[in-house]
Amino acid sequence: MRITVIEAGLQTTIQAGARRGMRHLGVPTSGAADALSLALANRLLGNDLLAPALEATLVGPVLGFDASIALALTGGLAKATLNGEPIEFHRTILVSAGDELAIGSVETGTRVYLAFAGGLRASDVLGSVSTYMPARLGGHEGRALVKDDVLHTQRASLVTDSLRTPEAYRPPITSRWAVRACRSAETHLLQEKQRDALVDTHWTIGRRADRMGMQLDGPTLEISSAGRMPSAPVFPGTIQCPEDGSPFILSVDAGTTGGYPRIAQVVRADRHLLGQMRPGDHVRFLPREPPEAIVGLRAMHDYWREWLPGIERVI
Amino acid sequence: MPSGNNAARTIEYCGDDLLSINVASPAEAQALAEQLRASGAWREVVPGIASVVVQFDAIDVTIDAAMRRIADEIKHGIAAVECPDVLLEIPVVYGGDYGPDLDDVCEQTGLSADELIALHTGQEYRVDLVGFTPGFVYVGGLDDLLHVPRRKQPRQHVEAGSVGIADGRTGLYALSGPGGWPLIGRTTFRLFDPQAEEPFPVRAGMRIKFVSISAAEAGL
Repeated sequence: MRITVIEAGLQTTIQAGARRGMRHLGVPTSGAADALSLALANRLLGNDLLAPALEATLVGPVLGFDASIALALTGGLAKATLNGEPIEFHRTILVSAGDELAIGSVETGTRVYLAFAGGLRASDVLGSVSTYMPARLGGHEGRALVKDDVLHTQRASLVTDSLRTPEAYRPPITSRWAVRACRSAETHLLQEKQRDALVDTHWTIGRRADRMGMQLDGPTLEISSAGRMPSAPVFPGTIQCPEDGSPFILSVDAGTTGGYPRIAQVVRADRHLLGQMRPGDHVRFLPREPPEAIVGLRAMHDYWREWLPGIERVI
Repeated sequence: MPSGNNAARTIEYCGDDLLSINVASPAEAQALAEQLRASGAWREVVPGIASVVVQFDAIDVTIDAAMRRIADEIKHGIAAVECPDVLLEIPVVYGGDYGPDLDDVCEQTGLSADELIALHTGQEYRVDLVGFTPGFVYVGGLDDLLHVPRRKQPRQHVEAGSVGIADGRTGLYALSGPGGWPLIGRTTFRLFDPQAEEPFPVRAGMRIKFVSISAAEAGL
């Protein structure tokens, strides 16, 4: 089974689960920026929820096939066609030898996930097959796909079930987001008024937005200690505020330590949402106490478990 | 560095699945991180310069239980870790295109470029921390005269091998990517090699000496 890249799209990489337990060596989490959408795509094919799949960014790829295979699309809202005919997201699609699949521009959200029955073959480096481009780890030669690349699935898989994601399990993709966030270790460096501003502002995702992180455009926050501190551990979802007062949120490929104050931390249950935000989107932060956030996480798992058994490994 | 003084070690929330423990020194952070990692109870145990952050699975353990577990672990002090006694020589091409902030640093510190290079190469250092990106090295013990702040806004692109200084430390960029340290030079020393048997040749606790070489000598 060969999948040929006819057009690569803007930034299409192989992503799977996170790289875990390596942050003390500077190795970022990596993995799908929107792990929930990855899991939903794999679910439609009977794959492991975190099986390697394609993550397409803003403009999707065009792919050709030399044999029949089942695939599924989830995530950001985009037009997709098979031999020129529109196809639906959130359902199992069977393609045949000679077919051409095209994913166009993502209109809402940022990332489309395209999973294949059996999962894509990819190189396992430092505990995951997920692509971490800055160090060229994992995925397909550690990089984004280019024209004429050829991909393979891990095994021939005979998917016969045609599934659709139930409506209740299709995550809303929007351009106005609300994410829950807890205080972090340097929240106290913001004066109370500034803490209110962090929560009350409808922030705009800035032009600098990628798998490492996203700039937040809005009011300038005043931070004491000149916005500096000894380098400390940071994680996906950490919101930092440097001296210039423009905060940024870290995402899956962000570095593991940073020297700017950590003013908030997006809660575990909502970190996957960061993977669908794009420049110009609005985002608000809803303050939560850590125990409250964990209650929310449990509720989320309880909700998703019926369709995605093993959701705890995903979110 | 065994230390019985845990009154100074506070544990605080960093998020709904993150707890930070403040420590007195980078070496203590390394030692505490090793100790905590040995228990296998945490998703991530990450040392910083003056703290260690643990990430826990909030489904398996409540935040209070996680906090108690850490408090129990540090109750009897922190066991010292074996530092590998290795002296690494790191060749650096200073200034020019390789150290685009060298002139700026000279202006801030009142040093000439030669004085700066002489100071930077004139002593032995110790690695405080590996982190940020795979193989990024934080080297402690910078001369007081070389203390400059980070850039107000990080650069979007820093070349691999770049050597920066900020807040009393030298930072070695293993990879290209964004970065906030003023850059004074570049090294050809391979700081991270995923294909190698040991992908991370530099570890916390190792000794470091910088050696000034020309771009031609470095093959740049």
